[in-house]
Amino acid sequence: MNELHFRHIHQHFQQRHILDGLELSLCQTHCTLLTGDNGAGKTTLLRILAGFDKPEQFQVDTGFGLLNWKQYRKTLQPSVLYLHQQPYMFEGSVRDNLDYALPRQLDKAVRQARIQQALQWAVLERIADTPAKTLSGGEYQRVALARAWLRQPRILLLDEPTANMDKDARLRTIQLLRQLRDDGMALLVASHDPDYFSSLVNEHLHLQAGKLQAVTARARFANITPLHHFAS
Amino acid sequence: MATLLDASADALTLLFSGDQALWEIVGISFEVSALALLIATPPALLLAFVLAYGQFPGRRLTIALFSTLLSVPTVVIGLTLYLLLSRQGPLGEWRLLFTQTAMVMGQVVLAFPMLVSIGHSALQAADRRAWETARTLGASHLRALLTITYEVRFGLLAAVLASFGRIISEVGASMMLGGNILHHTRNIPTAIALETSKGEFAQGIALGMVLLVLAFTLNALLHHFQGKGHIGS
Repeated sequence: MNELHFRHIHQHFQQRHILDGLELSLCQTHCTLLTGDNGAGKTTLLRILAGFDKPEQFQVDTGFGLLNWKQYRKTLQPSVLYLHQQPYMFEGSVRDNLDYALPRQLDKAVRQARIQQALQWAVLERIADTPAKTLSGGEYQRVALARAWLRQPRILLLDEPTANMDKDARLRTIQLLRQLRDDGMALLVASHDPDYFSSLVNEHLHLQAGKLQAVTARARFANITPLHHFAS
Repeated sequence: MATLLDASADALTLLFSGDQALWEIVGISFEVSALALLIATPPALLLAFVLAYGQFPGRRLTIALFSTLLSVPTVVIGLTLYLLLSRQGPLGEWRLLFTQTAMVMGQVVLAFPMLVSIGHSALQAADRRAWETARTLGASHLRALLTITYEVRFGLLAAVLASFGRIISEVGASMMLGGNILHHTRNIPTAIALETSKGEFAQGIALGMVLLVLAFTLNALLHHFQGKGHIGS
């Protein structure tokens, strides 16, 4: 997969069209930022792409053929990884949580070496044996990204990855995301704060009335309210 | 009062003198109830899992049905199975009436709805992100199921212990299906009922003490494990 084209994604909730024939392309080594108001359908879209929720209509062009929802789920779900806004940590240490992302068939020595690399990659060595459920929000996100790094999906879906983080934690998270993108993953990031990701994104899409619109730098500046409005 | 104290003293003597007849009854009770629980637990928890995570028509009706089955009296379950297993019944050819197997069957039927109901509540209360995280990290359905089971193990353990408490102390189904035959199907509750009706209180009290100690031990174990699993402990 170099590029996937999602088409005709329809989903409605209580007679309201959340997604109305939405189209979206995801490319490897490409980061797409998804913005939209609360309830616009960002999480709905991510959950559909993650294979968790079934849409009413769905089609994806892989370059080799068209797949419907069931076929997509079966063939491509193993290559997709979804990170919740607040990632879930299993019982056990950070090390145990990283181990979960590795294929079962790997032998013990290889597993340990890979986990050690992941701990270094996400700067988690100091808390490797800490119970994962006791970590802070920023550490949660770093463990979740380290699991993604071990799993190496082709598409990484992130729902508000920097919500409720302080500046340092946010910068660390964005740095890790940049590395994942440069490693060859396609990133789709839903966020309310486009400014945080400006150094990372290749494309900015805004979800409104069930459809996506490209947001260019010019359009963003056009939407900025001049300061003299507030001064006068 | 004096009679009660005398009977209690006799009961303690019976217990600590290693009275063979008494400990045989205790053994039968444990054997039957443990086997019934072993048979009922895996399918019941699997069904609880399907009810908590699946989406299919009739799901809510099934949950309501199992909640209703919780309050069916044990004698009604005993009577139903008795009619099925008696000579004239559809399963009469199996010749199971008044055997330990029939008692196990009765206790499986008793434990099943309780395991499903309490197990379902525990699994339903689990964080949905746990299942989704397991799946998105590449876990098979079976591995994800085992992960969730581990995450809510205390709730599931409570379901298993509550069911064990129900079946080891029930008298109706065991009496009707087992027949209270000495050395074969006489368990703690049926023995207590018999001894009390004969006016032989000592053995009844001794067996009652065994049940109480058992209940206390199981609850203490549950609280011990739950305490260890608590985030602040």
